[in-house]
Amino acid sequence: MSSDVVVDIQGLTKRFGPRTVFEDISFQVHRSEVVAVIGPSGAGKSTFIRCINYLHPFEAGRIRVLDHELVGGGGPPSKATLRQIRMQVGMAFQTFNLFPHLTALGNVMLGPMETKRVPASEARDKAMALLTSVGLADRAEAYPRRLSGGEQQRVAICRALAMDPEVMLFDEPTSMLDPEMVGEVLGTIRGLAAQGMTLILVTHEMQFAKEVADTVVVMADGRVVETGPARDVLEHPTSERSRTFLTRVLKPLEAAGDGQASGPGATTALGGDHP
Amino acid sequence: MHVVALYWQAIVDGGGVDLELTAIAVAVSVVVGILAAVGRIYGGKLLGGAITVYVEIIRGLPPILQLFIIYFGLSQFQINLSSFSAGLLWLVLYGVGYAVEIFRAGIEAVSVGQREAADALGLTRVQALRRIILPQAWMVMLPSLMTFLVLQVKNTTLLYLVGIADIMYQARLGTSATEQPAIMYGMAAIAYLIINLTLSRIGSTLERRQALYR
Repeated sequence: MSSDVVVDIQGLTKRFGPRTVFEDISFQVHRSEVVAVIGPSGAGKSTFIRCINYLHPFEAGRIRVLDHELVGGGGPPSKATLRQIRMQVGMAFQTFNLFPHLTALGNVMLGPMETKRVPASEARDKAMALLTSVGLADRAEAYPRRLSGGEQQRVAICRALAMDPEVMLFDEPTSMLDPEMVGEVLGTIRGLAAQGMTLILVTHEMQFAKEVADTVVVMADGRVVETGPARDVLEHPTSERSRTFLTRVLKPLEAAGDGQASGPGATTALGGDHP
Repeated sequence: MHVVALYWQAIVDGGGVDLELTAIAVAVSVVVGILAAVGRIYGGKLLGGAITVYVEIIRGLPPILQLFIIYFGLSQFQINLSSFSAGLLWLVLYGVGYAVEIFRAGIEAVSVGQREAADALGLTRVQALRRIILPQAWMVMLPSLMTFLVLQVKNTTLLYLVGIADIMYQARLGTSATEQPAIMYGMAAIAYLIINLTLSRIGSTLERRQALYR
């Protein structure tokens, strides 16, 4: 394993009772790499990304994050290992999950103050700097319910970044947002990638994946069906399963037109792969 | 009306006793109730089961019977509690039985996403409870906690049965001395109303304040 591997996943298998969610997933994420996990709904993408910081336990395989390792099957990991991993792995959720009883600033300050005993003044300065960097300095004192979805997600990203994580996980960060707010959140993620942050994101934004991701992992039916450089996988998928999926998401009208008489506009709308 | 002038001080003293008992009992049962609720949720089968059985017993038995078991029943085993100790002990035991359920419901009302966000930051379970879960559970629980407080004030009326000099005790004493039950119990009623209406007002003020960020 080369020294710049930040996350190393080997043979990861997750079951809910008798049902296998995914099986034997392996790949490595290198420092500053941006990995987009894509695939049809129900492929286990969200469950998979949640295994990396052990929000879900897994039944077999192992995940190494820098110097700490989680092993599936043999009971829960030690609290110390779990804490170390979670402090190094930041996460942004589909539903933001901001703490509603704290202001935007309070949300961002909480992690370092609780887990690292950072003094309040220092945590505040850092939180303000982070909020400023995502354009939310003037919203610092607002409670989450007063923020738009896009603002909430940017605060949630700051909350995770305040812990100085080695890698950031994004679990469909824009899928709950109104279309006009998707851009601001993607812009923030793009900024992180540009700064060299290691990112793993589950997303349905194909155009974004093509532009920002280095690597694309296609999950379908509980397996990795294809993995490779983003542009190659998205433009010239080699696996039949990813071809079917990509056709559906990139050219929904054409896919819907399969087996039907092509309606008016069905061909003209295929100008490109819109986000 | 000189009866009122003669007895109002006794009623006020009785009110002091009621408030003192309620305050101590509620404070203790809130602390124990939080711990027991956490034990019931996270404590596994044995601890969780034991706490559930306790709650069922407290809720299943009539209050007076519980009080008499503690004061009279225990004395047969040479455990002789003073009126005050027995009364306080019962209020605490009874209060814990109700507080556990209030806190359990409050903690469980906090969404899974909040727990996950706390976990993802690397917070320990205690840190998550203190900083994330309980402050939010507090908002959900506030109305039930205020009801609980008022219930405990009303429960103190039973304590005259073991000889604690509360409002009820003073009113009965006054009634036998003056033979004016309407006035004596009327004064007691006014005293209880003043206490409980004040508590309700404090409760709704707190709820309004909490509602700001809800």
